[in-house]
Amino acid sequence: MAEYSCLIVEDSPMMRQLLVFALARVKNLRVTEADDGVDGLRKLASARYDIIVTDINMPIMDGLKLVKRVRSDPLHKDTPIVIITTEGSQEDRQRALQLGANAYITKPIQAPQVIATVKELLKIP
Amino acid sequence: MSDNSEKRPPASSEPPANDLRREKEQFLATFGIGARLSEEMISEYERVISRLRYLENENARLRSAVEADVAVRELLAKIERLEREKEELVHRFREVEASSSGFSDRFQEIEAELGNLANLLVASRQLHASLSPRGVMRRVKEVLAQLVGAERYAIYFVNREGTELVPIASEGIAGNDLLNRPIHGGVLGEVFTSGRSIILDDVDPSHGTLDGPPAVVPLIVDEKTVGVIAVYSTLAQKTRFDTVDYELFNLLGSQAAWAIVSATLFAAVDHRLPGLEAFVDLSV
Repeated sequence: MAEYSCLIVEDSPMMRQLLVFALARVKNLRVTEADDGVDGLRKLASARYDIIVTDINMPIMDGLKLVKRVRSDPLHKDTPIVIITTEGSQEDRQRALQLGANAYITKPIQAPQVIATVKELLKIP
Repeated sequence: MSDNSEKRPPASSEPPANDLRREKEQFLATFGIGARLSEEMISEYERVISRLRYLENENARLRSAVEADVAVRELLAKIERLEREKEELVHRFREVEASSSGFSDRFQEIEAELGNLANLLVASRQLHASLSPRGVMRRVKEVLAQLVGAERYAIYFVNREGTELVPIASEGIAGNDLLNRPIHGGVLGEVFTSGRSIILDDVDPSHGTLDGPPAVVPLIVDEKTVGVIAVYSTLAQKTRFDTVDYELFNLLGSQAAWAIVSATLFAAVDHRLPGLEAFVDLSV
């Protein structure tokens, strides 16, 4: 059975923990955590990931900048990206999607929604 | 022949010629009968052959008709049997589908329950993950913002005199709107004095106001209400409180104040852990 790897980029330890709990329910998904955008890029430089789940509002480097950088990286330009943010407006959603994000989840997050989004992007039945 | 008869010796008398003629005529007559009989027999034979062929053809036609009839009957029986099988399969498929749908619904319910439990576990861990008052307060705010989806909220503690609720932390509220509240009167006072939450489940909490907070939760320490959390409005996409929000409010009400008080007391003794002598009387 295929094994997948996921990088969670989130500055809040509580949200990271919640995402790890949620994604632990996806079979054969290995999760790596990053504290912010810069830490996320560092981890992306040293390994290949099948999917990235990132918060938008983060210090040092926010999620939108991270999406831009990931999309310009040949190694990860096609890696699915899920954006998580408190912003719920259609404009913010469009902005994130135009930058190259594949899906958008608004806070407060619901574990079943996170699981369903990740499984759909990884094409896990 | 005429030449041969001329060379023949002259007949001695008439009678022999007559006899021959008669014999010839008889022979011819007999031969003619035979020939007619033969013709009739041939004709009859041909008629019989023709009739036989006709009957054979008729027989073949009838046989094929009977065979076709039997085949049709067999086909009809087969179709009927297949129809019955189809109906049975459709019935079974519908049963399995209904059962599968039931399993799927139950699976989704369990997934949602697990998600809710994960929220509560994470929130609980967060509240007790720090022993600094500021750290605890940051975590309480994070639970409110990230898990409940609160946009504007304030945390009040009762003052030493026990007359007013004083805001000790807030988010999204202008300074001049952040006032002390009397412990009697108003929603906050009602929740403080009764020790029971007021959570409006029939309004959109994202449209809440400072005068009409959609959720006010008492902060309880040792069965005594020491303050309240007031959620004045939620994020735009959070249009109603779910089951997990009620659980989170209960958790905050029962654990947040404990965490804040414990952290404050720990800070008051300069983060010194109690000596072993403090545990001596604990043995049972």
